[in-house]
Amino acid sequence: MQRTRAGVAATDALESSPGGVENMALLETLKSCGPIAAHDYPFPGTPSYRKEWPHALLPRSDGPRSARTAPRRCRRIDLAGANRPARGFGFISQGFLLSSSNDYLAHSSDGSFEFTEIGLNFTLPATDRLTLGLQIFSHDLGPIGDYRATLDWFAVDYHWRDWLGLRAGRVKLPFGLYNDSSDIDSARTSILLPQSIYPAQNRDFLLAQTGFELYGYRGLGAGGGVDYRLYGGTIFLDTRPQPGSPITVVDLNVPFVAGGRFLWMPPIDGLRLGGSVQFLRLETNLLLTAMPNPVAVNIPAMLWVASVEYAVRDLVFAAEYSRWRVRTESSEPSIFPQGLTFSERGYALASYRLNPWLQAGACYSVLFPNVQRRGGREGREFDAALTLRFDVNRYWLVKVEGHYLHGTAGLSSSLNGNRPLSALEPDWALFAVKTTAFF
Amino acid sequence: MRIGAFILIGLAAASLAAEQPRSGYVLIGHPAGRASRIDRTFLVEVFLRRATRWPDDTPIYPVDLAPDAPARVRFSQDILSRSVASVRSYWQQRIFSGQGLPPPELSNDEAVVSYVVTHPGAIGYVAAGTALNGATPLDVN
Repeated sequence: MQRTRAGVAATDALESSPGGVENMALLETLKSCGPIAAHDYPFPGTPSYRKEWPHALLPRSDGPRSARTAPRRCRRIDLAGANRPARGFGFISQGFLLSSSNDYLAHSSDGSFEFTEIGLNFTLPATDRLTLGLQIFSHDLGPIGDYRATLDWFAVDYHWRDWLGLRAGRVKLPFGLYNDSSDIDSARTSILLPQSIYPAQNRDFLLAQTGFELYGYRGLGAGGGVDYRLYGGTIFLDTRPQPGSPITVVDLNVPFVAGGRFLWMPPIDGLRLGGSVQFLRLETNLLLTAMPNPVAVNIPAMLWVASVEYAVRDLVFAAEYSRWRVRTESSEPSIFPQGLTFSERGYALASYRLNPWLQAGACYSVLFPNVQRRGGREGREFDAALTLRFDVNRYWLVKVEGHYLHGTAGLSSSLNGNRPLSALEPDWALFAVKTTAFF
Repeated sequence: MRIGAFILIGLAAASLAAEQPRSGYVLIGHPAGRASRIDRTFLVEVFLRRATRWPDDTPIYPVDLAPDAPARVRFSQDILSRSVASVRSYWQQRIFSGQGLPPPELSNDEAVVSYVVTHPGAIGYVAAGTALNGATPLDVN
């Protein structure tokens, strides 16, 4: 098919100029190039298609095909952003926790509404390959959060190819299947993720890092596909004193955090298999009640988790197993003991959507904070949970969840009047209700 | 002998079923697109935004119907092997962890056709019987 002169002129102009002008300016320039016939577009799949035309340029088949006045100042630009303005999403949650005896996450034994989350994010696809985004987040969960608004994540994302992209900024940590979406109540059936691997009280340590991330997806044809993420950076931590704690954190730094996640999606719909590993080092100075000078404590740690998920139709089954290796180095071993600890964690969960407005879920989670000392109530925690999720409409849900727990390993001593974990009630129950609105 | 006959009948039935057009919706692409067939695995990657470019490196613009549209429900079950609600959960995870945006959701079939026709690289689906207005119908391997 013969291309019109307008198309040729515009193509020449686009070819001869560098990209990088604003979309509006380009649109104005293109208008001055004259109307362009639909058949001016080379077909996708031909080498000239990608080379010659910005893809969001709309063809005009109803105008005259002559544009002898086409100026030479037309520039080439990728126009994806022109058709994809910034998009905003948000959620707001309010929960209630009630436990039979021990305080968990909040002062739950008396019932606590200190279980709130608010998130608002904006994403701007600036070009086909470049995306800017940020999320403002505020929460309150017992002693942590206090409704302070923080930038949960912010990133410049350059998606060079599907198999290689780069994010820089504050990026959520891809640890296990759900760490990077642990705040997102609407994305799962349960209220609490399995706390052995995704402990809510460690959110600040485990949720995001400031640095960079390389990511990609590669289809393997008959072999399915692989999804991978590699990251490195640091974590900025808040050192606010915990009320009632005998230890004051003078400062706390994370010189580095690095790791990655690899997920293989075999050619079975909905199946994901993979693993994650994370290395980090914490350096802190602690002031103990009885000590005039702070104690320097360094904690290098290595965490890994093996994951499997099968999500097909309305069924989700997932299981993960994890071990965390934590070494403690202390300047005053007699006061703050040194050591090497391996903890063991794992869970299995299943959920099923019974109909458009009702989902049911069950989870069993185990935690051994020190594999050398599994005995005693403080050396383990077994958590069996049942959840019902009601989707009132597309933007609002309500969940109810019951837990039966054996062991106190997941509890906080400071939240329980600084009583040792071995003195807390070994068998206890937790009831939770949560409602979330999202858009 | 009987077993062989049963196997033959079974294979024939399976073959016929495989050849049946996917009822309830029609997959469509931009009029300038050359492809008339698309691999289902690739289609899943496109609509979950794992694949964002055609093989010639041009951007792909998938577009969805509203969550309660019958064609969306059928497409989601047939192609993505997930319920619409499950796909929405997938996108909730991606959106709020900063990993990507879902395809735009348009309110009706005509809007999807219009989007696909006016966006080179676009791909969508509409209810069977919808006027395609020049959009290219695509078969799924």
